[in-house]
Amino acid sequence: MALTLQDQITSTHRGHGHCIAKGADLTRMIAELLGKEIGYCGGRGGSMHIADVETGNLGANGVVGGGIPIAAGAALASKMMKKGTVAVSFFGDGAMNEGAFHEAANLAAIWKLPMILFCENNKYGMSSSTEKAFAINNLADRGKGYGIPGVNVNGNDVVEVYEAAQIAVDRAKKGEGPTLIIAETYRWKGHSRSDKNLYRTKEEIEEWRLLDPIPKFIARTIKQKKLTQEQCDGIQQEATDAIVAAVNEAVKAKAADPAGLLDAVFKKVSA
Amino acid sequence: MLTMAEAVREAMSIAFDERPEVFLLGEDVGIYGGAFGVSGDMYHRYGSERVLDTPIAELGIVGAAVGAALSGMRPIVEIQFSDFTAQAMDQIANQAAKIHFMLGGALHVPMVLRTPQGSGTGAAAQHSQNLEPWFASVPGLKVVVPSNPADAKGLLLAAIDDPNPVIFLEHKLLYKIPGRDPVPEGSERIPLGVAKVVREGKDLTIVATGIMVNKSYEVCEKLAAEGISVTLIDPRTISPLDMQPVYESVEKTGRLMVVQEGPAHAGFINEVIAQMAGSSSFGSLIAPIKRLAGMNIPIPYAPQLEKAAVPQIEDIEAAAREIVKNWR
Amino acid sequence: MPKMSMTMETGELLLFHVKVGDQVKSGDVLFEVMTDKIDMEVEAPADGVIETLVGNPGDVIEIGKPVLIMLTETEVMAFDFGGDAAAQVETAAPTPPPVAPAPVVVAPVAPTPPPVAPVVVAPVVQAVAPVVQAVAPVVTPAPIVAAPVVTPPKIVNTSVKAVPKARVEAANRGIDLRTVHPTGPDRTITFSDVNSAQVDPAVLKRQAANKALIAKGIEMTRGIAQASFNRRAHANFDHAQLISAWAKVLRGRPDIAVHQHVGVSLIIESKYGSALPVFRDPDLISVEELRTLVSSTSDAAKNGKVPIAMLSGGTTTIFDLTTYSMSSATPLLFPNQVTSLTIGYDSESTKNISLTIDLNICDFYDGALLLDALIASL
Repeated sequence: MALTLQDQITSTHRGHGHCIAKGADLTRMIAELLGKEIGYCGGRGGSMHIADVETGNLGANGVVGGGIPIAAGAALASKMMKKGTVAVSFFGDGAMNEGAFHEAANLAAIWKLPMILFCENNKYGMSSSTEKAFAINNLADRGKGYGIPGVNVNGNDVVEVYEAAQIAVDRAKKGEGPTLIIAETYRWKGHSRSDKNLYRTKEEIEEWRLLDPIPKFIARTIKQKKLTQEQCDGIQQEATDAIVAAVNEAVKAKAADPAGLLDAVFKKVSA
Repeated sequence: MLTMAEAVREAMSIAFDERPEVFLLGEDVGIYGGAFGVSGDMYHRYGSERVLDTPIAELGIVGAAVGAALSGMRPIVEIQFSDFTAQAMDQIANQAAKIHFMLGGALHVPMVLRTPQGSGTGAAAQHSQNLEPWFASVPGLKVVVPSNPADAKGLLLAAIDDPNPVIFLEHKLLYKIPGRDPVPEGSERIPLGVAKVVREGKDLTIVATGIMVNKSYEVCEKLAAEGISVTLIDPRTISPLDMQPVYESVEKTGRLMVVQEGPAHAGFINEVIAQMAGSSSFGSLIAPIKRLAGMNIPIPYAPQLEKAAVPQIEDIEAAAREIVKNWR
Repeated sequence: MPKMSMTMETGELLLFHVKVGDQVKSGDVLFEVMTDKIDMEVEAPADGVIETLVGNPGDVIEIGKPVLIMLTETEVMAFDFGGDAAAQVETAAPTPPPVAPAPVVVAPVAPTPPPVAPVVVAPVVQAVAPVVQAVAPVVTPAPIVAAPVVTPPKIVNTSVKAVPKARVEAANRGIDLRTVHPTGPDRTITFSDVNSAQVDPAVLKRQAANKALIAKGIEMTRGIAQASFNRRAHANFDHAQLISAWAKVLRGRPDIAVHQHVGVSLIIESKYGSALPVFRDPDLISVEELRTLVSSTSDAAKNGKVPIAMLSGGTTTIFDLTTYSMSSATPLLFPNQVTSLTIGYDSESTKNISLTIDLNICDFYDGALLLDALIASL
């Protein structure tokens, strides 16, 4: 992994993957989705606001682009406090047109913040395709506008992403500033459950399904004899089992209680 | 005697000295010394590591402050005119205000956002607003409105101490003048959420915010000389709001008048009226509650128009006399 | 010209019993009137001197218009001479029992020494056919302290605006806000409107009048030698029985009376203060009829409505202290009353009856006899 536990991330409304990858407690994550007291946010945040301080997760965000300036701030703090950590902002192609992206990228560039601007370009911001939302074809070109490197990677290739990330992390830790990484990928399902996918074709979706990164990675690893099929199956089973166990445990947990709501707004001022 | 700007600078300096994680960022706060001269020589005293000049990017600046606050720093972010907090509203209202609650207390945002507000400088509609209700209506923000330099110092120190996001609204017209009371030496905090009874009386209770506290004070002096004694209450923190002294006073005077600069409609001061109207002290009222507030218009440019748009001393005086005379 | 029945609009003056310059005492017959229903004697409401005879025998005079003018010392009249009071007065009972008076225009006031202020008089009249009698000295009972029992306060506002504290105060004191005169902006009732004015200005005047009367009453009764006796009695009697029995006892002793009739006042607490309706000659009707009358009068009194005519003519007063768990008290005798009774609590089955007497008229021995006779007859 290019990041350590202390490195920080901010994520999007579709942040479960980042959360788990950064080392989240599965039970607490599922419990949060189910509105349980033991959930990460005590049932008050839900799917879009899961954060885990211990694993450097500063939170998924329900506002497009909301997490980008925050990641810049985390990077600023890291620099000021000489922590030596980096901050990664995960965002989608849609966020690149938000003012927040622009302002944060510029700040990170001028102050040489230890930050990675990681765009998961799945070609659609809800229903607006990148063809329609951008006047440029190569999103990575925007890096030039800020005076920072703009890097394209195949978002569905695990190794390519890892390598690009590592380069960006090293650059950041050396004090050379941020990198913009555009990782091309695809969103199989609709933006949300109410999405009828009227803006794209079935064929397009089918095409991309064939480019699923996990089977690709497994095939390559086996081919390179780094892991056996059994081992890979084992890893996948482990993952499935872990999720199932987490769900089972979370379901049994106590529902969040409205009684504590007013007190939950502010952190108590210590005497 | 210190002016408001000097008092604020002194508070920030004390906080800088007390805690290395406190820093200031904003447009023109560094070399320039702040658009209203508040940060002054802090850049020279503390250096560019702690006094950060930023490009014009309110959303980015406030967002960076949020991120820094989440990560162990205590930023003070200065937005040059409160009107421009609009650019940063996502980070203020959707992020800073809600993080502690949404994230189940896992994170908190110890950040102070200082910004000048108010009219009277001829800067017209987009540079003169009083936006107290914008912030006061967002759960998760604390909102402080100091009316004088002495309070400003103690309140700002408390705001910086506070582990939650605090919006600190300074009135432009107060920057360059000293207050009635000298600014105390030392680093004593004035707790947030505690109102101040500026003077006690038995005929009328006035609750006023910000610059209207001072205008009301002059009216109180004049009326006192004629035997009409007025209680003047300055909430100081408008969110959370301390109503206790208001109830106690109205039970003695039976008459309540509220005064604010911002436009009347849906303004902050209506909160005082709403709470009074629903309280057990309501039955002590011998007069209807009087509200003086700005006209429901954007602030106009010409001086006489600008004056007409918000309550002046004469308006406060006339209203006070009328209530006391007609309602016995 | 008094209004002596609901339908009466005019009366024919038959003859005068007095002439200009005559000194009259309260209760003396002044003139006679013929109405569609009956011939009536009209009595003097107060001591005074006849100043002018306005009408002539044979004149048909409208109700409320002057018949004669007499001078009396009383400066304050407790009740309106105008038609308003008459219009709002209720009769005591649905079917006029013998002692129920018709609504009248005025019950004038105080017993008094020589007249000072000129006053136009339309006196109180008994419309009772069988008992044509001199009206005893009309006495306005001293204890009516608060708002007047007689006239319901005039409704001044129908849609009421009042400041919160005024509402609280009005609720606490049982004041109907519709009767309060608003002086605040937009016809809003202020706190001081409720606090000071209470009801309408006429009522304030009456209150002042009452206060003056009480002061006068005290003055007049100062120096009356009083004595009190107590006896225990069983508790099996109600107000009607007591009133009837007491009236009979007094009727049997005309030598200890200064009046020719027996009028028993009963103190009743109303929301305006104490009311003292007078039951005239209650021994002359059956106890059942009296009971009905006492009951309806009590109810009316509690709500501040007692017919004017029932406020005068008391010759003795009964105070029932049992509602206050008192066993006895020594009240001031009212001017021109020789006796008063207090009924006090003694035990569950017994009551304490105290008799207070005016020693100028009734000596100890007579007092004891009266009390004995009463208790024997209960």
